[in-house]
Amino acid sequence: MDRRKALQQTGLLAGASILMPSMASLFQSCETVSRLDWQPLFFNEEEAQTISTLLNMILPRTDTPGALDVKADIFIDKVIAATYDEVGQKHIRSEIASFNAACKENYHSTFIELSEADRIKVLQQAEASSGKFNPSVWAISVGDQEPIEFYRSMKSMAIWAYFTSEEIGENVLSYDPVPGKYEACKPLSEIGNRSSFN
Amino acid sequence: MGNFNIDAKKEIVYDAIVIGSGISGGWAAKELCEKGLKTLVLERGRIVEHFVDYPTMNLDPWDKELRGGLTPEEKVKHYKNIRSGWVGKDTEHFWADDTANPYTEKKPFLWLRGHQMGGKSMLWGRQSYRWSDLDFEANAKDGNGVDWPIRYKDIEPWYTYVEKFAGISGEALNLPQLPDSHFLPPMELNCVEKHVKGSIEKEFLGRNMTIGRVANLTQPHNGRGQCQNRNRCNRGCPYGAAFSSNAVTLPPANATGNLTIRPYSIVQSLIYDEAKEKVTGVRIIDSETKEVIEYFSKIVFVNASALSTTQILMNSKSNRFENGLGNDSGELGHNLMDHTYRVGAMGKVDGFDDKYYKGRRPNGIYIPRYVNIDEKSKSDKFVRGFGFQGSGFRGGNPANIESFGADYKDSILKPGPWEFFITGFAECLPYHDNQISLNNDVLDKWGQPTLTIDAEFKANEKALNKQIQEDAVEMLEKAGLKDILGFDKEHPPGYGVHEMGTARMGRDPKTSVLNGFNQVHAAKNVFVTDGACMTSSSCVNPSLTYMAITARAANHAVSELKKLNI
Repeated sequence: MDRRKALQQTGLLAGASILMPSMASLFQSCETVSRLDWQPLFFNEEEAQTISTLLNMILPRTDTPGALDVKADIFIDKVIAATYDEVGQKHIRSEIASFNAACKENYHSTFIELSEADRIKVLQQAEASSGKFNPSVWAISVGDQEPIEFYRSMKSMAIWAYFTSEEIGENVLSYDPVPGKYEACKPLSEIGNRSSFN
Repeated sequence: MGNFNIDAKKEIVYDAIVIGSGISGGWAAKELCEKGLKTLVLERGRIVEHFVDYPTMNLDPWDKELRGGLTPEEKVKHYKNIRSGWVGKDTEHFWADDTANPYTEKKPFLWLRGHQMGGKSMLWGRQSYRWSDLDFEANAKDGNGVDWPIRYKDIEPWYTYVEKFAGISGEALNLPQLPDSHFLPPMELNCVEKHVKGSIEKEFLGRNMTIGRVANLTQPHNGRGQCQNRNRCNRGCPYGAAFSSNAVTLPPANATGNLTIRPYSIVQSLIYDEAKEKVTGVRIIDSETKEVIEYFSKIVFVNASALSTTQILMNSKSNRFENGLGNDSGELGHNLMDHTYRVGAMGKVDGFDDKYYKGRRPNGIYIPRYVNIDEKSKSDKFVRGFGFQGSGFRGGNPANIESFGADYKDSILKPGPWEFFITGFAECLPYHDNQISLNNDVLDKWGQPTLTIDAEFKANEKALNKQIQEDAVEMLEKAGLKDILGFDKEHPPGYGVHEMGTARMGRDPKTSVLNGFNQVHAAKNVFVTDGACMTSSSCVNPSLTYMAITARAANHAVSELKKLNI
C-alpha cells in the first residue's frame, strides 16, 4: 500500500487541516475530561491529557503497573522540556495538533474526547501507518530509515520511560546491578522478564 | 586528587616528559617511572583519579538526571562527538568539548577526543589483539606506503610484557595471522553465538569465530578485581577490571614516587636546541590561567593521541625545522588512516526463545581475518583484509510491534527475539594525500592553530567494504538466520576511532618521521608511540600494539640514556 496515501487518508501527515470543534464535542469534553493532577512543564493541559490517554492505552495497568502508575507521562513532559531544542519542541507540538486534527477529521472529536472504541480504532490505524524503527548496531540505526510518525515515536518514548522507571526497572524487569558471573545460556524460565536497562 | 603529585611548580627540570596520559602515555609514564626517571606527565585536561572521579559508575537509569538524556547545551558542547552514537549522560564528562576545541573537516572526518587524565583509555572498547607479520610486512609486499622498520619478532616480547601486566582475556587459536596473547580465561559465548560459530566454521573452511580478546580481567590480576559483567566500563570501572590508564598504569607509576602529573597543561610546542640537536623541553599553556610555562627534560615522549601528537610536532617550528619538528621527509601530517566501520549484516535467530543470558558481558565475538592471508585466500579485488566483531543478543524494538494494550504490555516484559550481527573492520591503506595540516585561520580558545583534516576512504577500502557486506550476509544466511539485513553506513574515517599515521615509523629518514624505536629521526630524544607512529593500519584493533610499542620504546630510551647516546 502507498504509505503516504494511507497517511493522508488517516490525516496523520503534519499540516492536516484543523476543524473547529462542534458544540456537541465541546459539551462532551466538559463532561468527560478531568483536570490534570500534575503541572506540565512543556505540554498545555489538552496536550498533556492526549499524551496521558495515549500512554494509558499502550501500557495500561494489569497485574503490573501501567505507564501512568510510573508517571511516564510526567517524565516525558520533563524530557521534552529539558532536552528538546526549540525546533524539536515546536515539532512535537505540531505533531500532537495534527494527531488531534486527524481524529477530528475522521471521528469528529479530539483524541481525548473520543469514545474508547474510536480511540482504539485511531491507535490501530496509527500502528499500521506510523513507520517502523530500523534496527541499530552500536547505537546507530542501519539502513534507510523511513519517516517515523508521531504515534510510533511517542510509543517508543513511552516504553523507554516505562522501562527506565525505578518501579519497573527494579521490581518488574530482571534487575541485576552487579551480575558477577556472565551466565551465557540459561533457561529463560530461571530468569523471567527481560533485563533491566543499564 | 590527593593521591597524585600535581605540584609541578617546585620543579621545572625532569628526566622525562610524557605528553598525554591515555593508553600509550600511561604506559610510557609507568615504564619510565619504574626505571627510575623523574617523570612529568603533561595532561591537557583535569585529574581523573581511579574510583574517586567516576561519578556515574553506579547509576541505574532512574538515578540519572533525565535518565541519560542530554540537554540542548550538552548537545551543542558535543555537536561533533554526538555523531558517534556513543555520547550519553553516562560518559558525557569524558568526551572533549567540541566548541572549545574546534577542527575543520575538509572532507567529513569524526575526531573523537578525551581531554582528561586517562584520555580515551576511559572510553575505548578494550578489544586487544596482536598484530602479525602479515601486517608488518604488508607495505613492503604490496608496495603501498613504506616498509615498517620492525617485524613481529621485534615486538613479540613486548606484547608478552604488556599483556602479563594489563591482563587480556581470550581464547588461543594458534592462527598465524592473529597471534595468541598470554591470555586470562576467555569470556563465554552465548548459545546463539555458539550456534553461529558452529555453522560458520563448518561451512567456511579457514574461518573462525571466537570470543573477543578484551582488556577486562576474568580473574583477579595484579591487585585488580575481576570483571563483574556490568558493562559499565566506560563510566569508570570500580574494580579496575577494565583497562584504563587511571586504573592500571598510572597508579604504579605514581607508587614509584617519580611521577608528577600536571593537569590543565596544553602543550604548545617542543623546544629544540640547534646546537645540541635535541629537544630540551616543552612549552605549555595553562588552560585555566593561560600562563605559558617551560619544562625541561632529557627525553620527551609525545603521546597526545595520533592527530594531537602530530599537531604538536607541526607547531614546534624552529630554524632547523621550519615545517615542524622532525619533518625533514615532508611526511609529517600525511598517511592518516582509520578502520572502516559499521559495515556488515544482522538478522534474527529462531529456536532459542527459551534461552537467555544473565549478566552484561562487556565483549562480543571476533572473526579473524581470512582473506589475503595466503595464496589460497588471495582476492583479486583488493589488497589487505578485514576482521569482524559482533554479538548475539535478545533485542528487537518493542515499539515496532503493531499492538498495544494489556496483552501487549505483558508480552514486552519478556525479552525480545534473538538477533545476531557482525560488523567488519577493514584495513585502510596509507595514502599520502590523507592528511592533516595546521589551520591558522581557526584558533582555539587558547589562541593556538587548530587542525584541518582532509582524508577519505578510497577504492581499496570501498572494495573491502563491499566484500565485508557480501561475506557477512552469506555467513548469516548459512547460519540459518532470517530477516537478514546487510548494511554499510559508509562512515567517513574517524568513526572507527583508530586514527593512525601522520608521523610514521620507517627505515629511511627521507620518507618517514620516526625510526624503528619510535625516535624522531633528526631529534633522537623525542619518542612518538601513539597512533601517529603507525606505518600501516592492519585490520586489527591497534591499542595493544600501542602498549607494546611504548614499553619497547621506553626501554630503549632508558638504555640509550644510560649509554649517553641521547
